[in-house]
Formats: sequence, structure tokens, C-alpha cells
Amino acid sequence: MYRLLVLSLIAPLASAQSLRLAAAADLQPVLPPIVAEFESQTHIHVDASYQSSATLATQIQNGAPFDLFMAADLSFPQRVISESLADSLQPIPYARGTLVLWVRNDSPLHQLSVDTLRDTALRTLAIANAEHAPYGRAAEASLKSLGLYDQLKPKFVVAENIAQTAQYVDSGNAQAGLISLTSALSERLRANGHYFVMPRDSYPPILQGAVVLKNSSHRTQAHQFLDFLMSPKVQQELAARGLEPTNGSGPRD
Amino acid sequence: MDTQALWLTLKLAVVTTLLLLCAAIPLSHWLVFGKARWKGIIEAVATLPLLLPPTVLGFYLLVLLGPRTAPGRLLIHLVGHPVAFSFSGLVIGSMIYSLPFAVQPITSGFSSVAPEVLDAAVLLGASRLRILIDVLLPLARRSIFTAAVLCFTHTVGEFGVVLMIGGDIPGVTRTLSIAMYDQVQDFRYSQANHTAIFLLTVSLLALILVYGRRKQFGRA
Repeated sequence: MYRLLVLSLIAPLASAQSLRLAAAADLQPVLPPIVAEFESQTHIHVDASYQSSATLATQIQNGAPFDLFMAADLSFPQRVISESLADSLQPIPYARGTLVLWVRNDSPLHQLSVDTLRDTALRTLAIANAEHAPYGRAAEASLKSLGLYDQLKPKFVVAENIAQTAQYVDSGNAQAGLISLTSALSERLRANGHYFVMPRDSYPPILQGAVVLKNSSHRTQAHQFLDFLMSPKVQQELAARGLEPTNGSGPRD
Repeated sequence: MDTQALWLTLKLAVVTTLLLLCAAIPLSHWLVFGKARWKGIIEAVATLPLLLPPTVLGFYLLVLLGPRTAPGRLLIHLVGHPVAFSFSGLVIGSMIYSLPFAVQPITSGFSSVAPEVLDAAVLLGASRLRILIDVLLPLARRSIFTAAVLCFTHTVGEFGVVLMIGGDIPGVTRTLSIAMYDQVQDFRYSQANHTAIFLLTVSLLALILVYGRRKQFGRA
């Protein structure tokens, strides 16, 4: 019992020394192994909090003690910069996200394509909140440019962030979902369903940017993590998990 | 189960319950025996968190405790860090959120003490403090126990306020209910299930404890 008491007293101290990461929800299936690799190399402990980019930006504006903000777009880091809360004037683009249409294997919707979205058998479509989640914004833009937005809008099941969107479809609460490739490539979703990459020219590129926060007491470590993330080896790893490098050539289609 | 979140939750619930009892006992005493005309208003305010959506409470606490308002900035200046998104912020939020769960049972406990007993104490020359400590508290111990159990359990099960003023920071503000939300979002269903069973058991045991004790007292 005493040991537990002591532990609970030490716990806050231990976490005070760790790097606090505010990470966009599309990173939830991707980041843990990369964080583990970083931790074993540097002995810097990393604690990540995964939510929608908007939620995290709001938390940062209200004083949340994060060291590094990794968003799913450039606008939310920009918002943090414009409030003079970041240590740089520009967000650092670290990856490019991809939007996919995902269904469970037991779904009646088989051959996935843009036409699947026109199928009358499709009654519910999970999509992330466009105001909070950059992938939700991309999904709306894509449906609009394909001329499908108005007819699909009544079928939307709106989730708070992109990880929750994937959870809605995987749990069978929505028939199909516009989710991140990072979720679709996760072990669980690969086993349970299949995906179709939405046409890349149907939505503005999902450029994901990061900023180190000015009030962070671990700025050096935060930059160290960003450098690690930008290293060719980790960028390759990210690409395999659904996040392409930003410095490469244009769309890959 | 997320042991870090478990300890954080228990720590939060214990600290909140102890502080809340210290605040609720004098407040309830004043509500029952005080004479101010606007007592009704205070009683209404103390009950408000019971009806208010946690988001309303969370929003105002976020505004008051964060760096975007003058009181928040003053607090940051005094404490050295923003109170929102810290353990102390969670304690403040939990205390307000669980206030009715402490005040309601204690006021009803104080009210049910027979007036003759109190009159006798007054006649024997006991001071108000002495009456509180030697008469009211022992006679209302069942209600105080109920208040403690309810505050503890209500804090363990808190979600909306914690999410709004605490976010989801591991080891700092990620309580069990938040960890569970995270586990579901990340498809860790079996972990979520363990957390859920734990939270369910805690709540059920707390209620059995409250009702069981009540019966015991009833028979005595």
C-alpha cells in the first residue's frame, strides 16, 4: 500500500519530465511504434494525447501544457502561431494524409469505387466533423467536387474526429466511412474490411503541419522528436502506414 | 487497465471527497440553521451542478481558469502555470460538479436531527461549534457517510467536465472514464471492457454500501 502511495506521489513528477504530444487523431494508429522507437533511442518519455486538430488547438489556446502540436492540416497550427503560442512563424509540414472510403468485409457494398457512394444500398456514411477535423473537411470537399454532397448529406453519421469515424464504421454503426488511410492500414481495419482511395484531385491535399509550443519546457526534446520524424527512415515508415512525405513529388496516382 | 489512469482517478476522487466534505459541512450547517433571507438562492446555486450540463460548467471553468481572461491570468501568475489542464484544475471542477452530492445528504441529515436535542444542547450552554461537533456530526454520520460515498463515486465517473477542462493528458488529466473513451476510439475494446467493468463495479458497490448501511441503521 505504501509503495502504491509513493508511486502515486512520484507519478506526476515522472510525467513532468516527459514530452507531451498533442497529436491529430489520424496519428493514433501510426505514432505509437514510432514513439516507442524514439523513446528507446533517446530515453525521452513521450505522452501523446490524440484528438481532433481543432480540439487540440483550442486546448493549447486555453493553456494546455503541451510541448509539440502535430495537426492534420496547416490551418490549426497556424491558429496557434497567430496567437504567438508557437516557437516558429510557419508550421513544419511533416506528412500528407490520404482520404479513403472504407467498408467492413461483411458489407453488401463490394467493388468499392466512387459509384459505391451513389449506391442506394448505402444508407449511412460516417464522416468526421468538418469544423474540427481536417479529414472531415477533405471528405466534404471531395463529395462536393464529385457532385455527391447534397444527396449524401442526409446519410452522414458525424464523428468528433477521424479515429472515431473509423470506429463508427468498424463497429457496424455506419455502413461505410470516409476515413484516413492511416486507420484503413491499421491491423484491425485491414482484417475487418477494405478500402478505396478517394480521387486525389477531388479534395485539397491534406498537408499535416507541426509546431513546437513557445511555453514548452522541453523545446529541445520537441525539436529532437520532430527531427526524428523527418528522418528518411521514419518518413519511409510513415509512408508505409498511410502518411506520405510532403517533400516528394506531387500526387502519386 | 490503464494503471496510471486508475491511480489518477482514485487520487482525484479522494482529494475531491475530503475537500468537499470540509466545504459542505459548514455550508450545509449554514443552510439548515442560518438565518439569511437569500439562503434559498445559495441553496439553488449549490444544487445547480446537478441539473447543469457538464459542458456548461466545463466551459465557464475553462474560461475562468485559462489564460484568456483576467481572473485566469491572475491565477496563472499566482500558481505559475495554467490551472486548466492540471490536476488542481480537475479538483476544482470535480468539487463544483459533485457539490450537490455532498450538500443534499448532509443538509437532510442535519435537518432530521430532533430540535429537542439541539434545544437541550443550547440550554446546557454548548457553543454552536460544540453542537456541530458533538451533536450534529455524530447524529448525521450516516448522511455524511452517504455524501462521502456519492462524492467519491460521482468523481470517479465524471467525464464531461474532465474532458473540457482537463483534456486527455496521460498521467495528468487522463482519468479512467477518459482513458476508456480513448480505448474505444482506438479499437481497444477488451481494455475498454475491463475499464467499464471496473467503473460499473465501483458504482454498484458504492450504492450497495450506501443502501446496506441505511438498512443497518434502520434496524438499530
